[in-house]
Amino acid sequence: MDGGIAVLGQVAFWGLYAGCIYILLATGLNLIFGVMKVVNFAHGEFLMLGTYVTFFFFVISGFNPYILLFLSIPILISVGVVVERLCFRPILGTGKLNEIFISLGLIYIFQNAVAMIWTDEWRSMKSPFADMTISAGPIQLPLDYIIIVAITALILVGLHIFLHRTTTGKAIRASSQNRKGAMLMGINVERMDMLTFGIGAGLAGAAGTLWAVSGQVFNPYMGSVPAIKGFAIIILGGLGSIPGAIVGGLAIGMVENFTAFFLGGSWKDAISFILLIIVLLVRPTGLFGEGQE
Amino acid sequence: MNPRNLLSRRNLPFAALLVLALAMPLLIGQNMYFLTILVLMLIFIIYSSAWNFLTFSGQGSLGHAAFLGLGGYASSLAAVHFGLPPLATLLLGGIFSAFIGLLIGVTCVRLREWFLAMVTFGFAVIIQTLVVSQLAPLTGGWDGYAVPKLVPSPIPGALSIEYYLVLAIAILVLVLFWFILRSRIGLALAAIRENETEARAAGINPVPFKLFAFGLSAFVSGIAGGLEIFHFGYITPEIFGIDLSFWPVIYSITGGLGTLAGPVIGTIVVTLLWDGLSIFGLTYARFIIIGVLLVLIIIFLPRGLISLPEEIARKIRGRKE
Repeated sequence: MDGGIAVLGQVAFWGLYAGCIYILLATGLNLIFGVMKVVNFAHGEFLMLGTYVTFFFFVISGFNPYILLFLSIPILISVGVVVERLCFRPILGTGKLNEIFISLGLIYIFQNAVAMIWTDEWRSMKSPFADMTISAGPIQLPLDYIIIVAITALILVGLHIFLHRTTTGKAIRASSQNRKGAMLMGINVERMDMLTFGIGAGLAGAAGTLWAVSGQVFNPYMGSVPAIKGFAIIILGGLGSIPGAIVGGLAIGMVENFTAFFLGGSWKDAISFILLIIVLLVRPTGLFGEGQE
Repeated sequence: MNPRNLLSRRNLPFAALLVLALAMPLLIGQNMYFLTILVLMLIFIIYSSAWNFLTFSGQGSLGHAAFLGLGGYASSLAAVHFGLPPLATLLLGGIFSAFIGLLIGVTCVRLREWFLAMVTFGFAVIIQTLVVSQLAPLTGGWDGYAVPKLVPSPIPGALSIEYYLVLAIAILVLVLFWFILRSRIGLALAAIRENETEARAAGINPVPFKLFAFGLSAFVSGIAGGLEIFHFGYITPEIFGIDLSFWPVIYSITGGLGTLAGPVIGTIVVTLLWDGLSIFGLTYARFIIIGVLLVLIIIFLPRGLISLPEEIARKIRGRKE
């Protein structure tokens, strides 16, 4: 029975690690939703770009891939700012379906631009810490996964400090709480939109780097499903609530890995949607949704 | 936005398009390449019209491939296992798809916008998962199975016959939608789309109408799915893919959302552009071009290509004044 517990512990740890990627995606989506009330279905493309930026610079420079976080985050922030300015600002307030449609266009653009540059083969890269494990009791934990969990925690703490201690961060939270009120207080709300979208994309970029470092395979089309799950998470956890995103991300990561373990790998993607549908059947506005807008 | 007005004003180009469609096989002869493109184009006109019909009720879907695939699997399984002729099983596929569509519709009636988008997307993923795992003994898993052709190829001019068959179904579907939208049902759907609370106040119970729209949309999508796989002669779970869910959305937006002619125009324009670009050997670039086109249309032409003549006329008038 001791072995059984060890296996379950292992699965739980995989869930924790998978949850980290989802948390970063869902937090970004949530920040963007909070400020702009926009849902970006192309968010997964930022994740995908993050993996390719990491992969590209890892191959040409040979740096430790964790250092490349300092490259992928700023690059993705700039991409996010440009996308917001060119695509989302013109359609802000023209109807909720337009955002979904424009994201579809963006998905096609990003996926195929990347496929043109790096082809659409599956790729993967090897972290310098691959094969290293730390044993915690009966469980063998890969060192990379521990670093990834730690980095995610660091990023979230950094984000929290930014949002609560700096003037810009407070301005972002103000725009999120009451857009008109923030405008009246002299906050440039449109600049906050741009900045928030950038930060959201940057978080997805960080998730991309962590995805690549962990040795998971990636191709230009890999982003859609994780992003849509990220979206399912923020519906579960409550639109606009960052603690909800963290709890939801962890929950989905765990549930997925346990389902894959018990029901077979093909159910890994479907289970989060089954969960989502059950929740929405009971509460059509999500677990912590604020009712009709 | 009464569909009747929109149609009568555009009666002439529509009639011209119909004549052109009827004469097409005579014009291009037995050129298999073009005929294949045309057949697929017609199938997608049926499919995106079905998707678009859902938007008349104020609903939407990002997982319509679920119904395309269900129709494809149900009709081909009936054809393979019971030896029924493909043309007859098309109806079976549509009915099965509508049945599942109603079940999904029941979970969706209370949801709006992105919640609806998510749930419909999720159902497509769940159904695909079922098909490749638990139902694999029946469906052949990821490999799929071979299915008979709609018109067996030894018959001379099989592709032309298939073209006219699909054309007839497409016209039938469009006429059906036209009659429904003109009827009291169409008015009720429009009322629900514009404001559900007010529709309720006017004594319209939205639930049966929304379910009707969902079921009919799924039914027609299922028939389109059957047509597609009986054209290719095989079926795989790829039919539930994200791409196939997104195409009808792209076609409808390009042409003009919430109009009957929109998906038709959109499918024709995007398909021609798509296959035109592939002649130049563009593979990934054509996706990018379609993506850019989509973004531009949403920002600058929110009512789709169908409003282009109007918009140009307005610009010219504006300049004169």
